[in-house]
Amino acid sequence: MSDTLRRIEIPIIITAICTLIQVIPYYIEIEVLDNTAATLQQWVLLIVSMATFIGVISIGMVHGKRVQRQSEGWYFSGILLIVMVVMALTGLPLESMGLGTKNPVYDFLFTNVQTPLGGTMYSILAFFIASAAYRAFRARNIEASIVLIAGIFMVMSNAPIFTSMFEGFKGIGNWIFDVPNASTMRAVTIGAALGAIALAVRTLMGIERGYLRGGGED
Amino acid sequence: MSLLERAQNIDRRWVYLLVWLFVLFPLLNPLGLPIPIGRDSTAWKEYIDAIPNDSVIMVSMDYGVSGMPELYPMTVASMKHLWSMTDAKNLKIVVIAFWNQGPLVFDTLLSQVDPEADYGMVYGEDWIELGWIPGGETGMAAFANDIWAQKPNDYLYSRPLDEYPIMENIRVAEDVDLVVSFETGTPGLPEWLRQWNDPYGVPFIVGCIGVSVPGMAPYLSSGQLSALMPGLTASAEYEVLLNRPGLAVAGVDAVSMSHLLVFILVVVGNIAFFATGGSRRS
Repeated sequence: MSDTLRRIEIPIIITAICTLIQVIPYYIEIEVLDNTAATLQQWVLLIVSMATFIGVISIGMVHGKRVQRQSEGWYFSGILLIVMVVMALTGLPLESMGLGTKNPVYDFLFTNVQTPLGGTMYSILAFFIASAAYRAFRARNIEASIVLIAGIFMVMSNAPIFTSMFEGFKGIGNWIFDVPNASTMRAVTIGAALGAIALAVRTLMGIERGYLRGGGED
Repeated sequence: MSLLERAQNIDRRWVYLLVWLFVLFPLLNPLGLPIPIGRDSTAWKEYIDAIPNDSVIMVSMDYGVSGMPELYPMTVASMKHLWSMTDAKNLKIVVIAFWNQGPLVFDTLLSQVDPEADYGMVYGEDWIELGWIPGGETGMAAFANDIWAQKPNDYLYSRPLDEYPIMENIRVAEDVDLVVSFETGTPGLPEWLRQWNDPYGVPFIVGCIGVSVPGMAPYLSSGQLSALMPGLTASAEYEVLLNRPGLAVAGVDAVSMSHLLVFILVVVGNIAFFATGGSRRS
């Protein structure tokens, strides 16, 4: 009995059924399938909610070990664990006990720690992009020259310091966005979609097994 | 190593320092450069201005704190624009989020803009905030099927939806006339397209960060995306169009200076490259 339950075909069949239940109602209206698809979506949401706890446990284990062993930078892990616990506890949705997102401690940490840190992480892009553009935009050959010219015009079309001197930069930027960029992105999107369809078909047919026990054949 | 050779390979730490100085300077000393108006910000404003009377608008906060520097100014400007015309057009605005930090970002907005005091909005009648819907694209699909089942209570006061008159006729995606999504990634435009626009025909407009803009082009040209607000510069133009200078106008000088630096670095690098015979070597 246990050998039967361990057969690789079982999860493949479950995957195929769940996928078809989601795909078919997208194209054909059948009430029973619509309702089943809606129920399955609720199940997915429950699983996603439970996955939050897996994330917390995983972070706790990784950083807890680092603190325990006092390995390099362990104090950062300690700060992470403390802040995680404090924000989790103060952010619990128990408004009657003064907890939740309006809690002063939670609000302070969100406004004065998480928000500036998040903004800083995103702003780091400016440094990398400036450095990368300086190195990459060099007219070494025809292809690189095209990238250089297009890149420089896009930079100039997006900065008022240039467009206020010559509004035509905006028109050039719009043309690059509308014609070469749109056609290239369309090709990329269609290519990715075809790849996704192929992967889905392979998964449905049980050929793609990477998500099952590391892709074992037994 | 000659000066020209050095100019081709400036240490990245010097580049970082220059970026920091070029961005910091206009933040401390605003340059007040003129902001020419582009087509995207104009199209965005005109689209919102043309929203028909009695429309139900779903504003989705699909970004977290890391997206705030670029998206928050356009969110504030758009919400002020929408709230300012809500009374005249009898609009109904439902604020949601498919990113878990979205409601917290909107809390920040509410700490700076008071819809009731500033625009005479009545919570629960003119607008409502439902909070975060978990599950990404699956959450979007489930929300489209049954809004009340996914969010039985509102976010601000945790009360059942049947206590709010605004929600009486807003139960499924077909009841929504427009989605306004401010987004930094997934779930974002492709998911809205698959779960709301294509199956239910709900039009949507998107405000996004600069790096996402190229990927929006096919959807904009095909008409699936009705309007696009591409990044901080367009937000500043939108604020100028609304005659309400705000955070984007304050920050756009830094965009100008950082772009100017990139331009200078690229020009210097290429002049040095050609002057040292780099093109022949290549």
